[in-house]
Amino acid sequence: MKLGRKYITPYVKKNATSFFLAILFATLTIAASTMLTFTSGYLISKASLRPETILLLYIPIVGVRAFGISRAAFQYFERLSGHNAVLKALSSMRVQLYRMLEPQALWIHNRFKTGDLLGTLADDIEHLQDVYIRTIFPVVSGLTIFFVATSILAVFDWKFAFLIGCLIGIIVFIYPLVSLYHLKKVQVKQKTWTKILYENLTDALFGLEDWLISGEKASFMRKYFSAQKTSNRLERKMNDFHHVRTFVLQSLTGVVIVLMAIWSSLQAADGLFEPSYITAFTLAVLPLVEGLIPISQAVEKIPTYAESLQRLEDIESFAGTEEKHVISDEHVQKAPQIQQDAPDKFSRSQDVLSEIPEKAVDTSSAGEIVIDDLSFRYPKQDQLTIKDFSLAVAPGEKVAILGKSGAGKSTLIQLLMGELVPESGSISIAGHAPQAYRERIYDMLGILNQKPYLFATTVENNIRLGNRLATRADVERVVEQVKLDRYIRSLPLGLKTFMEESGKRFSGGERQRIALARILLKDTPIVILDEPTTGLDPQTEKDMIETIFATLKEKTVIWITHHLAGMEKMDKIVFLDDGKITMQGCHEHLLKTNAHYRALYQMDKGI
Amino acid sequence: MDKRLFQYKHAKIIVIVIGILTVLQGMMIIAQAVFLARAINLLFQGTAWSAVLDYLLYFLFFFILRHLLQWMRERISYRFAETTALDLQEQLLDQIFRLGPKGISRFGTGDTVTLCLEGIADFRNYLHLFIPRMLAMFVIPAMILLYTYDLDVLSGLVLTLTMPIMILFLVLLGLAAKKKMDDQLTTFQVLSRHFVDSLRGIVTLKFLGKSTSHVKAIAETSERYRKTTMKTLVLTFLSSFNLNFFSSLSIAVLAVELGIRLINGTTMLEIALTVLILAPDYFSPVREFGNDFHATMDGKEAGERIHEILEKDIHRSGDEAVHIPVWNEWRTLTIQNLGLRAEKENRMIVEGIDFHVEGFQKIGIIGASGAGKSTLINLLTGFLRPTEGSIQIDDGERLEHLSFSAWQKQLTYIPQHPYIFSGSVRENICWYHPEATDAEVAEAVEIAGLINLIEKLPAGLDEKIGQGGRRLSGGEEQRVALARAIVKNSPIMFFDEPTAHLDIETEYDIKQRMIPVMENRLVFFATHRLHWLEQMDLILVMEEGKVVELVTFEEFSQKRLAVEFLGRSQSV
Repeated sequence: MKLGRKYITPYVKKNATSFFLAILFATLTIAASTMLTFTSGYLISKASLRPETILLLYIPIVGVRAFGISRAAFQYFERLSGHNAVLKALSSMRVQLYRMLEPQALWIHNRFKTGDLLGTLADDIEHLQDVYIRTIFPVVSGLTIFFVATSILAVFDWKFAFLIGCLIGIIVFIYPLVSLYHLKKVQVKQKTWTKILYENLTDALFGLEDWLISGEKASFMRKYFSAQKTSNRLERKMNDFHHVRTFVLQSLTGVVIVLMAIWSSLQAADGLFEPSYITAFTLAVLPLVEGLIPISQAVEKIPTYAESLQRLEDIESFAGTEEKHVISDEHVQKAPQIQQDAPDKFSRSQDVLSEIPEKAVDTSSAGEIVIDDLSFRYPKQDQLTIKDFSLAVAPGEKVAILGKSGAGKSTLIQLLMGELVPESGSISIAGHAPQAYRERIYDMLGILNQKPYLFATTVENNIRLGNRLATRADVERVVEQVKLDRYIRSLPLGLKTFMEESGKRFSGGERQRIALARILLKDTPIVILDEPTTGLDPQTEKDMIETIFATLKEKTVIWITHHLAGMEKMDKIVFLDDGKITMQGCHEHLLKTNAHYRALYQMDKGI
Repeated sequence: MDKRLFQYKHAKIIVIVIGILTVLQGMMIIAQAVFLARAINLLFQGTAWSAVLDYLLYFLFFFILRHLLQWMRERISYRFAETTALDLQEQLLDQIFRLGPKGISRFGTGDTVTLCLEGIADFRNYLHLFIPRMLAMFVIPAMILLYTYDLDVLSGLVLTLTMPIMILFLVLLGLAAKKKMDDQLTTFQVLSRHFVDSLRGIVTLKFLGKSTSHVKAIAETSERYRKTTMKTLVLTFLSSFNLNFFSSLSIAVLAVELGIRLINGTTMLEIALTVLILAPDYFSPVREFGNDFHATMDGKEAGERIHEILEKDIHRSGDEAVHIPVWNEWRTLTIQNLGLRAEKENRMIVEGIDFHVEGFQKIGIIGASGAGKSTLINLLTGFLRPTEGSIQIDDGERLEHLSFSAWQKQLTYIPQHPYIFSGSVRENICWYHPEATDAEVAEAVEIAGLINLIEKLPAGLDEKIGQGGRRLSGGEEQRVALARAIVKNSPIMFFDEPTAHLDIETEYDIKQRMIPVMENRLVFFATHRLHWLEQMDLILVMEEGKVVELVTFEEFSQKRLAVEFLGRSQSV
């Protein structure tokens, strides 16, 4: 409920008019369908009295026609305005989620390694559409109809209105709450089972080789299907509940119809209204109640939204705390809330930049990195991730950093980007701390990582992300530099070719080349290569490395790598273990003086 | 119509039972309308309610009975759908195991997981809805129509005429909406993917310094998405508008027409009332069918995809019992003219593979990517079945393939990315051999070099890894796989490029640990890291799907084959 107020209400308020329209039309739909039967019933009863002229029936005839046509129209507009309102809300939610994630992107990415948490969040937002369409709209319009109808009835006879109100109240209040209460547990249980099934099946299909080798297929099938049957049983339980509920509510409707017939005949006998209303009132019950039955379905869905809401909340609170811990350094003063407007942020970063004279950045020292006695530790951890790390890189120098996973390589990159603040020691890029650059740090550093993300747009747009102001000639030049020009020209749409879903059209090597082109277009003095060739086959890897170093000749390069291929070309090689430098020097030097390096090099070379 | 529908177990009986229930329900619908009309008519004439109570109660009785029958129909069809879907799921999983890892990867392994769960659920939903909805749509309107003709021909005509017009418009609008959808499909997909894409690529955006300005792009794209969607929905929703419009218009026409004839005295109130009460029930089966149409079509499609996998022809010959002896140091394996043809392209992926190995030899398989190394490994493990050639163990019978449980049980297979099951480290290590003792596990942990990792983990051996658990680095994955293999202790081991993706120091360490494990086993080792070859007794050099050299390590180094085939790629 609390989460609902946080993630649902603001969007309803923001798009109040659209939501109001949607609910209004939903209400009018039920009203029109009720009134159609009401006026039809009235019309034929009245007609059976054979009035002198048809003109006496003019009003009910017009009513019947009007309601007959308007019912469909109302429903049509209800659905259109409802979807429009929801899509508007969705739009704001997306922007909000993105704003919340953006400053913490690297954290979230490292913390929840599965890139797909983000995909799940996107789905969650999509899933929350149902909150409006399947829950809010039917409930609000149903309640409105309920109150209006009982009020009208109360004008005639408040006691009877009370009785009917109580009976229909079972449909409007009691059963929805019973459904909510009863199905909540089953739904939660069922969800856990679905998760188990999903996990089992993923294990089975992705680990199929191991299952075959183990010869345990039969035991898997037994285990899986016993879980599937449990899950089915729960689902059947929910379904049975639905079927019984429909039956009970329909039977109740029958009772209300009978009561309505008796009451209206009494009213007519007392001369309180003309007999034609007997037909009208009795027949109107069915369409009216049919508009109220969906409330139960709407309410029982509430627990299914909880998970999505919770995930959004978790991410948000996670993002909040991390920020406090890591970037609460005084000289950074990064605003903890992200809601500020873009122009504001822009002017602020200009303020900071004014500390750095443009000239200083543009001179020959642009590619210089000096790391002095750097130590870093993650919050709440005892051990230092980086210990007393010093490294000086002159502009245009090429440095390789090697180390096992967990040695501190990625932490080092994040320190260079200014995403992390050193505990002690300093980093300077072209004479300034990375933080001083704020967003502009990415004008100094380009990063090519192992899996550069290529967006679902054209090749050209992907490359242009490096520099939106680039000319067509610039784009063509970098494509040629990364040696993709022939391939791209062979495609029917050339640079306008779409990447397809997560870039499947292009091979690993080609994707890296597109990403490299993007970085070349960005033209930063420093380029960090974060294992860009892992996963490529040796020939492709070799070609790729050649292209990379040919194109980055002028630039300072920090190359995180796991093989020794290409080490001869490096000015410095640094081995990192547990945050400390264990070996360093150029290739010849290490080969001469270091036995371990020699052994590794021997192995890497093969024969 | 779905031709397969009747082939499912008990489907015919279910259709007959639900059919009978539907006819009964039709009768109840007519009966309740008749009694309600009669009661209202009498009340309208001024009869006291107590005198009409009988009719009202009859109405209530038939009304409740009608919904009781509905409940029964739903229940029966739900149970049928559940059993049939479960049955199909079982067949599907069985088939997946039979097709093997390479067989299903053609359908997309992730997609197949989704098909097995969500696809089956959709299919069940389709079965559950389709039979009762279809029968209701044919039976109930027909019964109501017949009864209406019997009561009042003119009203019957109104109802008869509306239906084809309604269906005509339904089809026309459906086609128009589909065309509109198809026209905008690409724009649609791009726009709807944009947000997921932005989130997934958020780190890249950040690196490019574009992440803050991207908010604007998201807002704009969402807005464009909304506009495009609304344009399509304007058409899509016309279908249900059409259903509602014609049904309520027809009721309005009936009411007015009946009213006029009542004034003229050419019909009776009771008849008019009955017709009016029945009219919504005449249309509602069609409306329901229309509303559930998309849900049922998704399920039908899922069903078709499942059958596509089920009908994939597989050589069932592998299931018969073949004697495969346990491998030991005296056994021999003779491969003759082994080949695999790519089904679609009609091209040989590997061909003419001939070699002979014996006992605990270690065979290195090298070649550039795409040369057929992995395919050969997959043929020898029995994950793939060759299309040509034969395999012989000792002097036994010539086998067409090796997809036999008796063979596969003797293997260990370590690929580049071994699969880590969701479970504890211990469960993963004991995966092939759940009864392993603590001592055996400890030994495997020691040999595979997992001790450092386990000491680091808060729950030690009981730490959850795999899906939803802690993520392991590539080196840790290899160590777990190695420990798993040590516990399994099988006589034959297959490695498919196990270390190429690791950092050099980890590779060095793991290599030292793997070498002793490979002793006294038959080993096949596919790699392009040449340093492994020193450990091998025989080296198969592959090129374009063929074995071009079959040499010992000494011959290999003398011939400088390394330089010829791979050397260039080893140093830049």
